[in-house]
Amino acid sequence: MSDKTASDKTANSKPAPGDTAPDPDAPVTGMDYFMQLEYHELLCPVVRRYAEKLRAGKLIGHRCPKCGLVYAPPRGYCPIDVVETTDADEVELANRGVVTNFTIVTPVQYYGQTKTEPFAKVSIQLDEPGGTLTLQDVLDCPVDDVRVGMRVEAVWAPPEERDTSQIGNRSWGSAEGCIKGWRPTGEPDLPADQFLQAAF
Amino acid sequence: MARTPAPDIAIIGYAQSPSWRAAELTEPQFLFPVISEAIERAGIERREIDFTCAGSCDYLSGQTFAFVMNLEAVGAWPPISESHVEMDGAWALYEAWVRLQHGDVDTALVFGSGKSSPGVPAEIYPLQMDPYTITPLGADPVSIAALQARAMLDAGKITEREMAEIAARSRANAIGNPYAQVTGDFDVDELLAEPYHTAPLRKHDLPPISDGACAVVIATAAKAKEVCERPVWIRGIDHRIEVHQPGMRNLTESPSTRLAGQQAGVGDAPVDVAELCATFSHQEKILRAELGLGGDVEINPSGGALAANPVMAVGLARIAEAARQIAEHGKRRAVAHATSGQALQQNLVCVLEGD
Repeated sequence: MSDKTASDKTANSKPAPGDTAPDPDAPVTGMDYFMQLEYHELLCPVVRRYAEKLRAGKLIGHRCPKCGLVYAPPRGYCPIDVVETTDADEVELANRGVVTNFTIVTPVQYYGQTKTEPFAKVSIQLDEPGGTLTLQDVLDCPVDDVRVGMRVEAVWAPPEERDTSQIGNRSWGSAEGCIKGWRPTGEPDLPADQFLQAAF
Repeated sequence: MARTPAPDIAIIGYAQSPSWRAAELTEPQFLFPVISEAIERAGIERREIDFTCAGSCDYLSGQTFAFVMNLEAVGAWPPISESHVEMDGAWALYEAWVRLQHGDVDTALVFGSGKSSPGVPAEIYPLQMDPYTITPLGADPVSIAALQARAMLDAGKITEREMAEIAARSRANAIGNPYAQVTGDFDVDELLAEPYHTAPLRKHDLPPISDGACAVVIATAAKAKEVCERPVWIRGIDHRIEVHQPGMRNLTESPSTRLAGQQAGVGDAPVDVAELCATFSHQEKILRAELGLGGDVEINPSGGALAANPVMAVGLARIAEAARQIAEHGKRRAVAHATSGQALQQNLVCVLEGD
């Protein structure tokens, strides 16, 4: 734990709590307690399969047999209809879609923050058969140009660079390590109004 | 102090997942069939549930707002009325029981779930202690329970043999329990020949590390009688808490259990069976004494927390198992107990009866 803390301090020039020597005569008003918790969770079968397919350059989802909504990545159930979904409900998803919502993040230089410039995280509703990926990065597009209705396509990492080690059971919506981001296709925008009711 | 009679509320359905050392399914995935089964056994439709209350712990899951994801197993669209306690599901049941006292709604779903496998319990639990004096010592549940067992031994209130006997009986009782994790016939002398894990505790005195879930459906009297052949009545339920600092308590006693038991009416009539959430063997003896349960009371026919310890569900599972004794095994009056914090700091006691 102490080694990790030391290297973190080297990597980040900002002073961390405990860096300054305390005044021995001052009353004690607080104390530092460095801690970290590590979690190692097994990938659930549906996400394991999703990760395997990502390494093969394919996006998959589950289509609810009742309402037809496509979940990307698959969850193993449809929370709306409360029905379980299986491999039989698997669909391969499109590599193109449309931005339905976005957030511009302006990084505050808190301890451990590595980004310095504003960046966008977008939700993408994929073309047929559908499915929505959240928290995706946009490539080749200035942050100020990101907008609802913008048509985008996936930029895959080369097969030898694909890495699913960051895919977890909770990173639903993520293709991190395999899809670098999404770039504008240059097609005309779709009307933003039609996505006002989109969930993400 | 006289108890104010509360309207009768009944348990009308319950279900559990198996207890796994490390589940590969996610918490909402293994909750999914458990909740569906509890509702089905209650004989109602999902849409008839008026109120939902869950118990889970984001520190166990390792993600903030992990409890929100668990609602995906409930069917929360169109929006439902729901609540969450960062506590064992037994306290979620308490909240739902209070909610049904209002009389405007009649059915509630309660569940508790947890995955202890992804994290390191000995690193997570010290964080619930006093952050200045105890957390930095790394005081984990096993160490604190060992201090408690030592205090019991020193006071002459238990022997290591009695502790091993409790563990052996729990594991043997669990043989017939499909949800249990540690089961089998064990010889007490052989258990006592094992080395200490954290003296004076041996491995058999400790609970397993478990992932799992439990769900219970409760209803008002009118609704219960309408849909359920054998409702299990909640005759009393109460919970009490002691000071946070273990050094300020006499760890060989549990006044909070005693008070909760009195308020729930444990001693008002003979008890056939009790499901006690003794996560360490010696705690069973403390609980029995404080609840006044004599040798004629069957203890933990399910095997209890020493056989399966899905944290955040294990207390609710005691209530479900006590209800099972009445609904499926012909028992008339049962006591269920749940605990929270370290060394029995907070305790909930529930008295259940059949018709």
